Amino acid sequence: MNYQIIHTTRYRYNQTVSLCHNIARILIRDTDNQHCHHSEVSFTPQPDIINEYEDFFGNKVIYFAIQHEHRELSVTVRSMVEKNTVATKVGNLFDNLPWEEARKIILQPGYKHTDARQFIPVTKATTPTPEIVTYALQSFTVGRPIIEAAHDLMTRIFTDFTFDNTFSTIATPLQEVMDAKKGVCQDFAHLAIACLRSVGLPARYVSGYLETVPPPDKQKLVGMDASHAWFEIYVPEHRWLPFDPTNNMIPAQQHITIGWGRDFTDVSPLKGVVFSSGKHDLKVSVDVRRVG
Amino acid sequence: MPHNSLFLKKIAFSFFATMSPLTTQTQALESFLEKHQSLQQLIASNPNLNNHWKTFFTSLAKLGKNDIVDRVKEIGRFLKENGVTYNIYGDPQGNNRTWKLDLIPNLVDADEWRFSEAGLIQRANLFDLILKDIYGDRRLIKEGILPMEIIYNHPGFIRECCGIKLTGKHNLITYSADMARSENGKIWILNDRTQAPSGAGYALENRLAMARVVPELFLGMKVEKLSPHFGALHNALIAIAPQQKRNPRIVILTPGPGNETYFEHSFLSSHLGFTLVQGDDLMVKDNYVWLKTMGGLEQVDVILRRVDDAYCDPLELKEDSQLGIPGLLQAVRSGNVSIANPLGSSVVENPGLIPFLPAVSRFFLSQELLLPTIASWWCGQPKEKQYVLDNLSTLVVKRIYRDSMNRTSVDATIMSKERLANLKQKILANPHLYVGQEKVHFSSSPSLTEGILKPCNALFRSFVVSDNGTYTAMPGGLTRTSEDKNDIIISNQSGGYSKDTWVLSNNEQTPAGNKKEQDFLNRNSQWYKSDYLPSRTAENFFWVGRYAERVLGTARYLRTVMQYVDEANRSGITNNQPLIKCLVGSLMVYTHYYVGLDDKQYKKKLAAPWNLLNDVLLNEQQAGTLSFNFASFNRAVHSERDQWSTDTWRVLRETEDAWKNTKKLRKNSHYKLLNEIDRLITGLMAFISLNRESINREQGWILLDTGRKTEQMLLLITMLKAALVPINDEPIAYVMHEALLKSNENLVNYRYKYKAHLQMHLVLDLLVLDPNNPRSLLHQLERLQVYIKGLPKTTTGHKLSQQERCLLEAYTLLRLAEVDQLSQPDLTTKTHHNLDVFLGRMNDLIKGISEGLTKTYFKHAQKQQQLISRG
Repeated sequence: MNYQIIHTTRYRYNQTVSLCHNIARILIRDTDNQHCHHSEVSFTPQPDIINEYEDFFGNKVIYFAIQHEHRELSVTVRSMVEKNTVATKVGNLFDNLPWEEARKIILQPGYKHTDARQFIPVTKATTPTPEIVTYALQSFTVGRPIIEAAHDLMTRIFTDFTFDNTFSTIATPLQEVMDAKKGVCQDFAHLAIACLRSVGLPARYVSGYLETVPPPDKQKLVGMDASHAWFEIYVPEHRWLPFDPTNNMIPAQQHITIGWGRDFTDVSPLKGVVFSSGKHDLKVSVDVRRVG
Repeated sequence: MPHNSLFLKKIAFSFFATMSPLTTQTQALESFLEKHQSLQQLIASNPNLNNHWKTFFTSLAKLGKNDIVDRVKEIGRFLKENGVTYNIYGDPQGNNRTWKLDLIPNLVDADEWRFSEAGLIQRANLFDLILKDIYGDRRLIKEGILPMEIIYNHPGFIRECCGIKLTGKHNLITYSADMARSENGKIWILNDRTQAPSGAGYALENRLAMARVVPELFLGMKVEKLSPHFGALHNALIAIAPQQKRNPRIVILTPGPGNETYFEHSFLSSHLGFTLVQGDDLMVKDNYVWLKTMGGLEQVDVILRRVDDAYCDPLELKEDSQLGIPGLLQAVRSGNVSIANPLGSSVVENPGLIPFLPAVSRFFLSQELLLPTIASWWCGQPKEKQYVLDNLSTLVVKRIYRDSMNRTSVDATIMSKERLANLKQKILANPHLYVGQEKVHFSSSPSLTEGILKPCNALFRSFVVSDNGTYTAMPGGLTRTSEDKNDIIISNQSGGYSKDTWVLSNNEQTPAGNKKEQDFLNRNSQWYKSDYLPSRTAENFFWVGRYAERVLGTARYLRTVMQYVDEANRSGITNNQPLIKCLVGSLMVYTHYYVGLDDKQYKKKLAAPWNLLNDVLLNEQQAGTLSFNFASFNRAVHSERDQWSTDTWRVLRETEDAWKNTKKLRKNSHYKLLNEIDRLITGLMAFISLNRESINREQGWILLDTGRKTEQMLLLITMLKAALVPINDEPIAYVMHEALLKSNENLVNYRYKYKAHLQMHLVLDLLVLDPNNPRSLLHQLERLQVYIKGLPKTTTGHKLSQQERCLLEAYTLLRLAEVDQLSQPDLTTKTHHNLDVFLGRMNDLIKGISEGLTKTYFKHAQKQQQLISRG
């Protein structure tokens, strides 16, 4: 399956900005089940400096700076991505591995699970409150298989919470999301990750896209018509399994991964620092459609 | 171990028995000792030092009891005058606490030093290798020598810094260690500092103070010099410059005047010749780092940083940091700037590493550690965690990283049951963040604090710097003492004394010879030189000038008004109320005191003139008062502290101290208050004239004087407005004219020049239009014209800048003004309306000049803002 993705971010400033520095994580990386054939970024105005490199997690990064006066900034990326038709396999060998066993294996001394183990400590955005710990333990009951428990957690978040893109901001603490039972995909991913980490399991945050224009026979999935987010759990050996609590589904063909990190701040699509005393407004649009 | 220390003590006493009794030569010191204490007891802990202590105390005793007391005071005075301070966060006494230095140094003999030095250098090498490994191949983790959690879970591990290739052989440029002697004389390392170690500047300042105040004590001691260390630091920074530039621009990045060790930042800046900068003085453009100066942007090659790494780049690191430079990491990645120590180096400032250091040393160097580490257990391993929990009440517990909220080390041996249980919980919740450490009992060092000779616990910080492919340690360092035996975490944040540290040489001639410390500091002549002042410095000079004049103007007018009110009261003139009201009213306008008062409040103030005068004098909370202005002046002076000469500092200190006492004076002693105002005026005048000669940069003086002239004009305009615009009855008008001339020091001048009764148009002629009167508007504007012409040109073509435009209009307005027309009373408004309009326009134009200068040369106006998109 091939997808064409067009992702535009546009800032408008009330006052002239003389200098801005930006970091964009909008180029799609290759994974086990996707390959990015082509991508092209266009900017207005044209940046004076563009640096491209890979970050610690292997995500693709673009740094750009605009060093002349401007009132508007827009970044558009067009990508062509091929998803493998092979469905994501949920392996059977460890299907029945209890989560406590998985944790024990992961924590064994040695280098093997080092990369995964860095996703155990909580971050500012994924710090669990006592209530969140209790919420997690309802899925992670004694001896329950890890995959089943994670699946259950995903379903509970989907059932208990309402998607509402007017409620939270990037700075909203998890407990407030928990109290209101409302939020967006980021909040749900962070909540799930906080739950998993609270029981000592590695979990990572995935930034990506969702098919926004479904084929005629399929229903439109829930998202913000912007980029999407979900979480992955680590199952020994060396496998990360994705879960989308916003849609209560295992991401496969309709989810396209941009990159991953410990939480949103590691993979935010676009962040920057501008020098200006005025305000700004922001518009994001994403279009993901099947081609060929 | 206790057995061992007893043995050493025995040696110590028998050693003493063979020497001539110390007491005969040191009787003068007895009065400083506490009961049942003897000198021998104080120095017994380290037998190798006995001879040195004997020499030292003999020299000290020779000074005699009274002289010792005087010298102690003198040390305090020296440090105060040199502005040696440290700041305590949230200290109610405010910033700028004076540094405390003990007259008695910490002694280290040659053998002990040789041993420590080798150990420190080995340790610096080791941390350098660990740092390179962590941000490179991570072999230590791959090969199982370090558990990954010690690195990955440490907030100092900055993933953004992985894989960056740095210039130079070493990544770790400076390294510091806190050391202490245990009771058996062994040296132990207590803390490692790898991020932005502070203290070297204080160590040098301590030495300069000792050499100045008590040179006699150095007799026969062969003390190693400290200053070569700073030469080494200079070379080390040059060595890491990108593209091996030979004359790189080096800056010191400070969080600002509120930082606890800001004194040291500015001290190093002036002694090493590096520009002292804050985050917003720098910017990143084209992947390079630039310093904003009066003449535009200048490239920066090397940054010696005193800002914690997470705060250095709000683009990629801590997003809300106001202390950093957005884009800095991009410049580092591009190889266009080098930072010492590099960003990310705080990860090895990590007690979690301690238990693994011997293995790391074998892995990298195939060596055993020379300096033993204190037995430590990292709780991230099950067995070790159990050991720590089982033996908690005998251990010291450290967290693997520092944060500003909590102490890094706690002494569990003195904890209550409750606190122990609490600590246990914390360890269980995050075991990999804690390390348990054996508690070592430290030996004491003789100290003379608060007039008493007694033993104090001493912690010694040494400084190591990368030097031509290896490392060298400063032979000396910073010793801090505490009287509390249990206080193993000695910190200036909780007070305490410091000591000079004397490393004693065996050689007949020390390598440094007989040269003075100062000779080394000034020898390096190939420093980077710029034609232009940094924008911030320029801005500070400008504001120091403005505030200085604001203080002087307020002081003079206040003094004049006080004198009149006082005289009127005493002479018993019955009908003096209108006059007093007029004078005090004009003072309220002059100081903007009336702002925010309603009619009723205003009248109430007028009715009690002395209360008001006292308030204008002393109320520091109210904008525009003398105390408020003086405080603003002081803040501006302190934020540019390395620009003032020693003499200037002395004048400032004395003025500051005198003013502090003024605040304590009784409010009704008018005569004394007037005297204090005189002293303040003298102090500020001395400050200004000293600067004319001592500011080492021409541009600095020009900006300071530009600030002065700008402020003087604005003040004069306000004063003319307050005193002359209203139409007053003849006797009152006369006094107002007189007061105006008097507070502008022009009364004598007027009488000499016009030989006439005081008349408004002549007063205007003198104060506004006379080109030969240095106090007149015209004269000052002409000075300003010259200054502004001399500043770097920033516009292209023939377009005038804002300041040039305003200047031209103001000058024209002044030259075309006619005093007769200005002093024409207007019957409809019952004011001197023409004068009012004229002064109003002049005021706008002078402010326009100030604004123009700010926009063109100072450029800190635009705030950095964070952008973040969710989608």
